[in-house]
Amino acid sequence: MLRLCRSLQEVPWIVTVNSSAGIISIVWLVHYLGIFLLVGTGVFVNLRVLGVAGRRQTISQLSGSLFPWTWTGLAMVIPTGFIMFAGQATTFYPATVFRIKMLELLVAVAFGVIVQRKVPQWDRVATIPAGAKLLALVSLVLWIGAILAGLEVPAWLPI
Amino acid sequence: MHAWLVNAAQWLQNFPLFLWLGGAQYAYPFVQLTHFTGLSMWLGTTLAVDFRLLGAGKRFQTASELSDALFVWNWIGLGIAILGGFSLFSIAAGGYIDNPAFQLKLVLLIPMALAWHIFVQRKIHAWGQTPDTPRVAKIAGFIEIVLWVSVATAAVWIPNY
Repeated sequence: MLRLCRSLQEVPWIVTVNSSAGIISIVWLVHYLGIFLLVGTGVFVNLRVLGVAGRRQTISQLSGSLFPWTWTGLAMVIPTGFIMFAGQATTFYPATVFRIKMLELLVAVAFGVIVQRKVPQWDRVATIPAGAKLLALVSLVLWIGAILAGLEVPAWLPI
Repeated sequence: MHAWLVNAAQWLQNFPLFLWLGGAQYAYPFVQLTHFTGLSMWLGTTLAVDFRLLGAGKRFQTASELSDALFVWNWIGLGIAILGGFSLFSIAAGGYIDNPAFQLKLVLLIPMALAWHIFVQRKIHAWGQTPDTPRVAKIAGFIEIVLWVSVATAAVWIPNY
């Protein structure tokens, strides 16, 4: 696997992108904007399920408007994240902090998908069940935890 | 004026709280987390309304309804972002005040984007009553997206100086 990382790191366009301050800044920019869309809209739907935001609208209405942007954000984060990973793959791949970040994101996305799929059920009942609120709370913590895990990577790795 | 700014930055940076936040390996990512969580709430909700003005998600609610639903957490998000941003600034104030990208971001781009955001939020009840938004609303939403992307671009450029 490390050998694969080494050859990934030497792919010409990966080297070019990662060594140009201008291009890599654009990659960072798209990565950040993706995080904001992903977490901001994802967290808001969770806050609505918890009953502390946008109560004048149904969960379906809000999740219908917001979840497409959650997944748009994810679609921005993944390719840009991959480019940054590829530039220093041999540093990232073996690092525990990086693996935790990837695992955290995966679990956060899985919970996001579960919340989205459950929304129509929750709209059919008069009061939101406690289980739904718990799920939303876990999802909320996971989205914010994904940002923290991302920030811990440069704090622990010599990049 | 500049000497005064440098002194103020030094004073802020030597504040025990900011010395501690900057010095502890475990604390700094949490300061960044505050800024990023706030920004996510602020920009996630702001951009969602702008996209709605541009015509996305017509079948769910009007732009006016969406903006009202997101309003409170939109501003809570900005409050959290400012708290985190001020702390990040204070940890290394001396390094930021002379950074051209930071100056551009704080003095020009953020005030412009924020003023435009307030303008859009005040106008949205007039523009956003029907599923289809008028042309002027689409242009206003597009301008707001451009303004916030400019703010983020300046922010990303800060470490390059």
